[in-house]
Amino acid sequence: MRTNKQDTPQTTPRRSDEPIWWSLFSAGGVCVAMLVPAIALLVLLGIPLGLVSAEQLNYQRLQALVFHPLGLGVVLGAMVLPLFHAMHRIHHGLHDLKLAHGRLAKWLCYGSAVLLSSLALWLWLTVSMASG
Amino acid sequence: MPTLEMRLQRYRPEQDSAPHWQDFRVEYDDSTSVLDALEQIKAEQDSSLSYRWSCRMAICGSCGIMVNGVPKLGCKTFLRDYPKGLQLAPLGNFPVEKDLIVDMSRFLEHLTAIKPYLIAEAAPQGQPHRQTPAQLARYKQFSNCINCGLCYAACPQFGLKPDFLGPAAIALAHRYNLDSRDSGKAERMAQLNSDNGVWGCTFVGYCSTVCPKGVDPAAAVNQGKIASTLDGVIQWFKPAKEPRNKEQSK
Amino acid sequence: MSRKPYQPPMPASWWLKHPAYRFYMLREATVVPLLFFVASLLYGLYALGQGEASWLHYLAWLQQPWVIALNSLALVASLFHAWTFFALFPQVMPLRFGSRTLPAWLMVSAQWAGVLLVILALWWLLGGVDAHQ
Repeated sequence: MRTNKQDTPQTTPRRSDEPIWWSLFSAGGVCVAMLVPAIALLVLLGIPLGLVSAEQLNYQRLQALVFHPLGLGVVLGAMVLPLFHAMHRIHHGLHDLKLAHGRLAKWLCYGSAVLLSSLALWLWLTVSMASG
Repeated sequence: MPTLEMRLQRYRPEQDSAPHWQDFRVEYDDSTSVLDALEQIKAEQDSSLSYRWSCRMAICGSCGIMVNGVPKLGCKTFLRDYPKGLQLAPLGNFPVEKDLIVDMSRFLEHLTAIKPYLIAEAAPQGQPHRQTPAQLARYKQFSNCINCGLCYAACPQFGLKPDFLGPAAIALAHRYNLDSRDSGKAERMAQLNSDNGVWGCTFVGYCSTVCPKGVDPAAAVNQGKIASTLDGVIQWFKPAKEPRNKEQSK
Repeated sequence: MSRKPYQPPMPASWWLKHPAYRFYMLREATVVPLLFFVASLLYGLYALGQGEASWLHYLAWLQQPWVIALNSLALVASLFHAWTFFALFPQVMPLRFGSRTLPAWLMVSAQWAGVLLVILALWWLLGGVDAHQ
């Protein structure tokens, strides 16, 4: 056996918790690439660009689409995961720009992603529960 | 013979507190490499100039240098491609020892830490280890690394945090982890799983652009992120057997 | 002989030095307009929960010039992000069949086809077919 502890004097480094944040970041990255163009194009900019009419974005239709059980997928794919995606890049960006690194920046970044995600889920759940 | 303006970064640790620039003019033709030009300067103009080189054929990895701010091998870079002249500086992100020579010991320490060699039981009765072409194809690309360190000069994360294991070391760890003959993955994962392992990378991707051997370390590092994530998930679900790292942790 | 290595500084402006670094920073910066996109959706979700009057108010808000400008930026940023992200996919998760790898261009094109499909699906969900008959 050539493996022993004598030839590795350095201690075993601590396992990073980054797999959690990176997985959320990556899933968010896929969602941003796949869903955001469609929603930005047709919903947020649909009327100004003349791609959809105000009638197409009427209250009843949107209410039915968004608060449908499958609408949870939209909340997760277009809001929750993109939030984790964004805050992950901002966290690393702060390190890149030498503005901040360490515990506080990390808590603030992922904490705000958790907070805003909870807000989105809460907004969705309260209406879905009431109407469902 | 045409001549070209060359600006070299000089640093003489005995006299200087910081590097300074010195201009030279060299003769060149279509076949003159940056390394040839340095030899010409040392032989004919300033014998005090220091630089590192060995094989002159892009295999030893000794003559890494910044050419107009871009990490290059001096032997593989030609003056004909820089008609406006060029600036040579020591490889970025490393401490400068003298003139164009850097201290690469940090990179070499990282390289040692990930055990870049085959960890395998001997094949039975002196038989060779057999490997199919498909098994070879999994890691072959990553085995072309010559340890020149250009990717470290290209990596801002290594510049920001020198403890980051860095592109080449992680690419080589990945290369041996992918090798069907190797059984040392468990020993390498502890390093890769840490904040200074694969997780120090933000996929800038410039390491792969500058690699003179087409290794694509950025791909290796980011494939390593998936491997590290899976390793974490498996560790999570595995019943705690022996407290293996108890005396080592922290 | 004593050594005196010179450690070159790494200023916070390092990323301005090379096009590759500027490109990287631009890619990372796509999340800033993305945050405005998410805020727009949060506001929309809130308005939709409040009732029809509030939703109509939201649709009017979407048509203010500064909101259009920021959402257009978010759209462009998401497309730029997609372009960079799709290119990374074959590098991070190469699909292998034996000793061959699926060509990168095929994986990238398939992802763009996905984007197009989502746009068409959403257009259909919003009654695009009926509205244009």
